[in-house]
Amino acid sequence: MASSYKCARCKQKVEIDVNVRCPYCGHRILFKERGAAIKELKAR
Amino acid sequence: MEIQFASLDDAASRFTLSGASPAFANALRRAMIADVPTLAIEDVRIYDNTSALFDEMLAHRLGLIPITTDLTAYQSRDACSCNGAGCPACSVTFTLSAEGPKVVVSGDLIPQDPKAVPVHAAIPIVKLVKGQKLVLEAKAVVATGKEHAKWQPTLVCGYKNHPVITIGDTCDACGMCVDECPREILTVKGKKVAVAAGKLSECSLCRLCERACISTGIGEEPAIKVSAEPDRYIFVVESDGSLPVKEIIKRALKHIKGQSDELEHKIREISGDDKK
Repeated sequence: MASSYKCARCKQKVEIDVNVRCPYCGHRILFKERGAAIKELKAR
Repeated sequence: MEIQFASLDDAASRFTLSGASPAFANALRRAMIADVPTLAIEDVRIYDNTSALFDEMLAHRLGLIPITTDLTAYQSRDACSCNGAGCPACSVTFTLSAEGPKVVVSGDLIPQDPKAVPVHAAIPIVKLVKGQKLVLEAKAVVATGKEHAKWQPTLVCGYKNHPVITIGDTCDACGMCVDECPREILTVKGKKVAVAAGKLSECSLCRLCERACISTGIGEEPAIKVSAEPDRYIFVVESDGSLPVKEIIKRALKHIKGQSDELEHKIREISGDDKK
């Protein structure tokens, strides 16, 4: 499953399939959103 | 063997250890650094982090925060009945929830046990701008500096041999050594150079005074000589605040005693002499 991205210009949620481009505004810079999972780490 | 304190408070101490071997002095230093347990954050669960720092970086920064430790209430993780799994007898949980704009500091960590708090409340963890969020849970456990430096209770912990400065008859009080000494422990007294009152222990054994003395053309042998007492040591111990210095010294000495008792016991076992 494609992970969700966020457009850097229009802030809309974007799914990437073939092109790395926002379908709403055409901007090509997308941010990958943080997943919902809890991250467990060692403090080292 | 004798210990004489020059100063002692919760944060720092300076003492003289006399009549001990170099091996024992070093054993004491090492035990104070690596064998006295303290609390430090070990496991971090990050629920949300939209700050500029990576989760790993954040966890690392949390681990290095010194936490006030009451060793009568907590015991070392290895010695605990939970076998290191983490129970209320060997660990404390902290929660942190913050939203920007603000600088998240150690005081924002909310402990489960009000006694186990960060030593300083103003240690910066991360700076959040408007809209950034940080929610996490951290578990501090009791362990020793042997495992990771974050569990060290000491900051400065070292020793040097007690200095001995002898001034020979050839001294003409030219004052070259007095000017050269970086610690300013020498003075001209009458027709000779002398060590200023109470300043001998500050000598770092750098021997710049000897070099200055020779450079005056006095000959092969300098009039001032710096040496060290082989069985007397000046210790300087500073605590990070998790434990008082007195407790660190006591625990370190107990640890050394425990280890030597154990060794003695093992040797008796091997030699089959269990009577004594």
